[in-house]
Amino acid sequence: MAPYHVMLVHFPIALWTTAALIILMRAFSDGALARAADGALTFLLFLGAVTGALAFMVGLLVWPIEAVAGSPLARNHLLLAIWSLAYWIVLWLLRWRGGERVWQGTWRWIMLGLAALGVGLQTITGTLGGYLAGNPSIVSEVVRRLGWEVFTTFYLPDWILILLVIAALIMIALGFIGSRARA
Amino acid sequence: MEAKSQQTRQTLLFVTVILFVAMLGISWLFHGTGVVHNDVKRNIYIPKELTMPLQVKAAYNGEKMFFRYRWPAQQPSLYHDMMKYEGGKWKRYGDSVPGPQPEGIYEDRLTMLVDDGTVSDFEKYGGYITIGDRMRFFTDEAPGEEVKKHPYLGKKMGQSEVTKYLPQTRTDINNWASVIPEEELAAQREAGYFLDLWHWRAHRSNPIDKSDDQFVAEGRFGDKGKSVFFNNWDSDKKQPRFMFDPKKTGGRAALNWDDLMQRKLGFDDLYYMREDQTKPYDPSYSWKEGDVLPRRVLRPGEGSATDISVVGKARWKDGYWDVTLARAMDTGNPQDDKMFENHHTYAVAFAVHRGAQGSRWHYVSLPVGVGLTHQADFQAVRFQGDTPKWEQEWTEVKLFYPGQVSWPLLNSSRHAGAAKIKQGVPVKFRHSEIQLAHYGVEMEFNKEITAQWLYTLAAGLLLIVGLGFTVILLLPRKEG
Repeated sequence: MAPYHVMLVHFPIALWTTAALIILMRAFSDGALARAADGALTFLLFLGAVTGALAFMVGLLVWPIEAVAGSPLARNHLLLAIWSLAYWIVLWLLRWRGGERVWQGTWRWIMLGLAALGVGLQTITGTLGGYLAGNPSIVSEVVRRLGWEVFTTFYLPDWILILLVIAALIMIALGFIGSRARA
Repeated sequence: MEAKSQQTRQTLLFVTVILFVAMLGISWLFHGTGVVHNDVKRNIYIPKELTMPLQVKAAYNGEKMFFRYRWPAQQPSLYHDMMKYEGGKWKRYGDSVPGPQPEGIYEDRLTMLVDDGTVSDFEKYGGYITIGDRMRFFTDEAPGEEVKKHPYLGKKMGQSEVTKYLPQTRTDINNWASVIPEEELAAQREAGYFLDLWHWRAHRSNPIDKSDDQFVAEGRFGDKGKSVFFNNWDSDKKQPRFMFDPKKTGGRAALNWDDLMQRKLGFDDLYYMREDQTKPYDPSYSWKEGDVLPRRVLRPGEGSATDISVVGKARWKDGYWDVTLARAMDTGNPQDDKMFENHHTYAVAFAVHRGAQGSRWHYVSLPVGVGLTHQADFQAVRFQGDTPKWEQEWTEVKLFYPGQVSWPLLNSSRHAGAAKIKQGVPVKFRHSEIQLAHYGVEMEFNKEITAQWLYTLAAGLLLIVGLGFTVILLLPRKEG
C-alpha cells in the first residue's frame, strides 16, 4: 500500500498548505482578495481533513502494526500523523464554527499561530514519511539541531504526561467558564 | 456588562494559549527522557558515545596481506582477566560484564570479519547475519546450562553460551539450538561457508606481537592448532597453574594490584604472563594480600591459529591506537581462513572494543568492500618488498554501537525492512550508522518505549482536543 499512501498524502499536504497561506493572507489583510480566498477556507480545511484521514488509513496498511511499533521512525511518523490530522481538524472546526469572528481583533493572530504550528507538524510528518520511503531530506537535520534526533522515538516522561492531562483539563474548564461568561 | 464578559473571555483565551505553548515547550525540552537507563541485571548498558571513527588501509605484496588500523581511545586498556590474592584465596577480576569492567581490567580489541563472497548476505548486512537467537549477553540470552546440554554445541564443541553463528547452520534461524547435521556443517565449511575472523587483543595476543585467528560458522571458534594464549586456572585444585618465575622476571613472582589500579604498568612493563616466564604455581610461596597473577598465559601457539602477526609494534599514543596486522595471502588452511588473491574483492566488517568493555559492548561497522587492485570501498595497494610504505590515504569507517538487534528480528514481521532484506537491499541503502545505533538502543527498551509512546500520543491528542474545544467555546459573540 506504500505507493498509494505516498500518492494520497499529496492531497492533505497541498490542501493544508493552501489553507495556511490563506490564513496568512487573511491575518494581514481585510482586502477583497483575502476575503474571497477566506471564503474557500472552510471547504479547503474540510477536504484536507477528509483526504488526510483517508491517507492515514491507507498508511496504516503499509506495514504490519508490530513493525510500526518496533521502528522509532515509523512510531514518530504515526504519532505526528495523528497529531497533524487532529490539529487541522481543530482548525477546520474553529473556522467553521467561528466564521468571520476568527478574524476579529487578536483572534486573527491566534489563527495565524495555529496555522504555523499546523504547517510545522505536517512538515515533520511528511519528512519522516519521506525517510521511511527511502527519501530523506534536510528537514530532519533542522529538527535534529532544534533538539530532537528523529531516529529516536518521541515520547514523554510520566510527569510531563500528567502535566499535559492536567493542562488539557484546565483548558476545557477555562472554555466552560468563558462560555458561561458569554451567557 | 458585555464589555466585561468580552474581557473575561479574552483573558481566558490568553491563558489557554499560554498554557498550550508552555506544554509544547516543556514537552520539547524533556522528550525522550525517563526510560533509557543502564540495567545490568538485564544485560543493558548504553555507552555514552554511540559512534566512533576507525581509519584503515590495506596493502599486499603477493605473499602477504597487510591491514593497518587507527582508532581513538581515551586510554589503552592493556590488562585482562586477573587473579588477586585476597584473604588467602585467589579471586578473579576481569570477567566479561555488561558495560565497562568496574576495575578497568578488560583488554582493548580489534576484530575484522572477512569473506570472499561465499557467505551470502554478508556483503550486504555484515555482522548482523551472525547475531542469532538468544545470543550471549542479550537480555533474553540462552542459559548456560541449556547450551552445555546441547548435544553438538555444548557436549561436543564445549560451548556454554550462544556465540556468533551463520544463519544457514540452523534449520530455523529463530532457534539457536536447531543446528543442522554435522555432515552438512562439514560440507558447508568445505564449500567456504564461514567467515574468517581476525582478532587482535591488547592483552591476550599483542604483547607477543600476535593476533588471535578465529572463524565464525556454526559458532565462533579458534582456528586449528594451539591458540596464542591459554587459561591459567586449575579448576580442580582451585588455584593458578603458573606463577611468574622470579629468576626470569627480575625477582617478581606476581604483579601488584595497586600498580594495576593506578595504571602504572605500560607497554614496556610486565603486565602479562608469557609461558617462558613462568614456573608451576607454588601454593607454599609467601603470597601476600594484593598479589596478582594473570589468568591468561601467552605462548607462541601452533598451526592455523597463529597465522596473523603484528607488524612492528602495535601501540597507543596521543589518544590513538595504531595497529598493523599481516597474514599470508594463502595460509594453506582453506577451512579456517579466507585466502586473498590479486584482482579479487572481499567484504570485511570491523569492530572495536575499548574503554575496558567486552562481549557485545563494542562498536561495529557495516560491511566494507576491499579490492586487491580492483575498485571497491577501499583498495589494497600492491607493493614490492617486505613492508608497505602506507603512502595511500586512510579510509574512514564509521563504527556504531549495535545494541540488541538480531538476524531473526531483522527477518521477522517486527522489522519494517524485512521485505527489503528478502529483496536483497543492502543495509546501507536504508540506514545510516547513527540511525542503527539509535535503533539498537531503542530495541533494548522496545516494550517500555512503545508503551510510553502510546501514552504520549494519547496525551498529545487530548491536549489538541482540549485546545480546540476551549477556543471554540471562547469565540466572540456573534454580532447582531
